Amino acid sequence: MTPAISLTGVSRRYRDQLALDGIDLVIDGPSITGLLGRNGAGKTTLLRIIAAHEFASAGRIAVLGADPVENDAVLARIAFVREDQAFPQFRVRHALEAASSFFPNWDAELAGELAADFELPMNRWVSKLSRGMRSALSVVIGLAARAEVTLFDEPYAGLDAVARGVFYDRLLADYAEHPRVVMLSSHLIDEVSGLLERVVMLDRGRIVLDAAADEVRGAFTRVSGAAEAVEEFVAGRAVLERRRIASQEAAVVAGGLDDGDRPWAQELRVSLEPLSLQQVLIHTSAHAGRQRKEGTSA
Amino acid sequence: MSSSIKVARYHLVYPFLLVLAPWAVLALVFVINLIPTVIQGGPNPTKALASIFAFMAFAGVLTIIRSLPFALALGASRRSFYLGTVTLVVALAVVYGLAIAGLQALERATGGWGVSMYFFQPQYILTGAWYLTWLTSFVCLVLLFLYGTWFGLVQQRWDTIGLIVFVFGQVVVALVAIFIIGGNHDWHGVGHFFTTITAAGLTGLLAAFAAALCAGGFALIRGVTV
Repeated sequence: MTPAISLTGVSRRYRDQLALDGIDLVIDGPSITGLLGRNGAGKTTLLRIIAAHEFASAGRIAVLGADPVENDAVLARIAFVREDQAFPQFRVRHALEAASSFFPNWDAELAGELAADFELPMNRWVSKLSRGMRSALSVVIGLAARAEVTLFDEPYAGLDAVARGVFYDRLLADYAEHPRVVMLSSHLIDEVSGLLERVVMLDRGRIVLDAAADEVRGAFTRVSGAAEAVEEFVAGRAVLERRRIASQEAAVVAGGLDDGDRPWAQELRVSLEPLSLQQVLIHTSAHAGRQRKEGTSA
Repeated sequence: MSSSIKVARYHLVYPFLLVLAPWAVLALVFVINLIPTVIQGGPNPTKALASIFAFMAFAGVLTIIRSLPFALALGASRRSFYLGTVTLVVALAVVYGLAIAGLQALERATGGWGVSMYFFQPQYILTGAWYLTWLTSFVCLVLLFLYGTWFGLVQQRWDTIGLIVFVFGQVVVALVAIFIIGGNHDWHGVGHFFTTITAAGLTGLLAAFAAALCAGGFALIRGVTV
């Protein structure tokens, strides 16, 4: 089967800055993938390259089996919703009308429902919308487009918690009925973690983690308690971080726990707490940073 | 439906920039010229018709800065956007040229709108038969639009520094031309060229320039990122 998205050795250099560094990524079929990372990690650049808004300096990109650059047949099947989208002199209804003529699977009924959910005023100029309302408009277009590849780049900028909830609910509901490839870059990691089937973490232009979301959730555990007991429990495991205050210690270990670990932890009186996706990102980024430093000093 | 046609329709979803605004600007400028002519009396030969051509250049800039990014977000390619936009502007310019020729004929028939105001008959250019007025207007509208798109394309591709270099480069070219012509005492020849060339000949030169701008713009937009 042809992968929906296939990136091989993709790099993007801006003068002396390497925004993406040898990205290899394959997304085979319908899934909701979270593209996570710190500011400047390369998330937006990666999405822009997939949508052919930006050009790679090196590497190969295939979307729906072909290079998307200047490829009308492929581009018509991609919707790219970005945080900083510029609009022409349009009212909200004009923007939706324009979108309807470009996307072959456009669902006008869904667009109307979503616009009502977000309380979008159809006759208001887009330039007069608040930042949140403008984000809501982009989200409506991204969902109603029902594009085979839908890319959301921080789509909730300015949206309040209620509107973000509407977005998450609507995305999941529509995805369940019309499965497609969705990539969602986000800072609100724990908020979106429930949506994600797969997690791709970027750090300084490199993929530092690419795994199923369920695997990631169970893959890191914080062990805390008396220092001696913690040391005994983590012995022989991959420890990402240790913090010690007086006689207490907390350590983050990689790798899943087996059936015998929990009774043993109870016996040692240490507590086990799985790391949230956001905590995983923090530790993975810190780990990648330490590795970079070691590589530089070596 | 081809992507270029979708792009042309996209510009007409709310046709403010390319349809409503140019004529609103021209109507406003017409009234601004008409009022003092009525009060003070004619004749008033004005060159204010240039406003619609100048606005087309402005529309060219905005088309790239404001309309291109959203069109790409909707899945248009740069090629489709350019071809669809230029095709639409060429079609509109055909109609606008006819409208200008018609208004010029009306102006002639009414003795300058009854007050000897010659708004649609600027001196030197657009003074011949109606079809020459139409052809020259058409070519100039397209030319100015394409010239405007260059500013937008350079801005999108190389940012503000690129734009400064682009403007500065044109100033340098103009100064070098002036220096060379002045050095060779050729101003008489330049004047002779522009006073003896026919309207059709001048229109042909402008059309060739527009074609060069169009080809260059097509090459430029292929490298634009948004």
